Amino acid sequence: MRIVRSPPSSRALARAWFDIGTQSVGGGTSTLFMIRRILVERTGWITLREFTEAWAMSQLSPGIHLVALAGLLGRRIAGPRGVIVSVAGMMVPAAVITALATAFLGEIAQQPLTIAALAGIGPVAGGMTIGLALTMAQPVLQRGRLAALDVIVIAIAFGVLLGGFAGTLVVIVLAGAFGAVALGRERPTSGRAPLS
Amino acid sequence: MWEQLQLFGVFLKSSALAVGGLASLPLLRADLVPHYLSDAGIVQALAVGRLSPGPNGLYIVSLGYLVAGWTGALYALIAASLAPLAMLPATALARRWLLSPWFAGLVRGVTLATVGLLFATGATIVQAGGTALWQVALVLATVVVTVQGRLHPATMIVVGGIVGLVLGR
Repeated sequence: MRIVRSPPSSRALARAWFDIGTQSVGGGTSTLFMIRRILVERTGWITLREFTEAWAMSQLSPGIHLVALAGLLGRRIAGPRGVIVSVAGMMVPAAVITALATAFLGEIAQQPLTIAALAGIGPVAGGMTIGLALTMAQPVLQRGRLAALDVIVIAIAFGVLLGGFAGTLVVIVLAGAFGAVALGRERPTSGRAPLS
Repeated sequence: MWEQLQLFGVFLKSSALAVGGLASLPLLRADLVPHYLSDAGIVQALAVGRLSPGPNGLYIVSLGYLVAGWTGALYALIAASLAPLAMLPATALARRWLLSPWFAGLVRGVTLATVGLLFATGATIVQAGGTALWQVALVLATVVVTVQGRLHPATMIVVGGIVGLVLGR
């Protein structure tokens, strides 16, 4: 049974998510670590078990998983008010900084030095995208003969987009439908608990 | 007005159909390049997204800004914040569905397709940025570093910028 706790003020909650959103550059594991330290260890608003369960659910969400995690944890902490305060607290300040940084880059984008730097950043951005694809493939690829099926889905999506045969939307919807029928043998992200 | 709604629709669709923040990239690129933006813009947004605070998926706000200024950034922020919150009613109403094999299969199918789309998108970005020998070397190094996951993600952006300053002139 969950101990009844009085929910924190919106201000305290927004402050916590502001810290999480602005102090974690690049997202990923560092952000998870910070959420756990602030919400579980420092304030005790969330138990470790609630955190782990919300994390597992957030991995199934569309879009940015961290937003789903903030929403799920915010609801646990303070109901609908907690959802809005947590998501806005994490996203709005970080988004403002991101837009300002984009505006600044736009100001200097035509300078020769910036053009040279971007000539090196372009390959990095491409490499990051390819690396991300490999990282995403690792936990979902099956072993043995079934892996062939997975690789075929990947190859078709790759070929369809590069060849311009159909839109990305069509590829994703068809792959989802195919997966629901033929690929549902195991849970996708079950085994990996965060930082536990 | 119609144009604005369409733009918001592009951001919302890409967030709603992606598993993970950066997985929206193939959908966004397909809708925005070349009509609203060039591949150079995509590179800028990805770099800013890595270097500024918050989740990686916030590169979408940078894209929004490049396409339509502060209004575009606001649309992107709203779309990126709304789509994942679909999990809130889902976990409350359909928890059993979320744990069912067919839903797991659906997520797997979408993830696998996204992997293929990301490979293709990555290849396109590489090609658009230039394929001099040093640039190809940077691509390979970044792939290795990203897969290993030990270096901080922003580090390679800085390294790429410095290498570009030395060799890209």
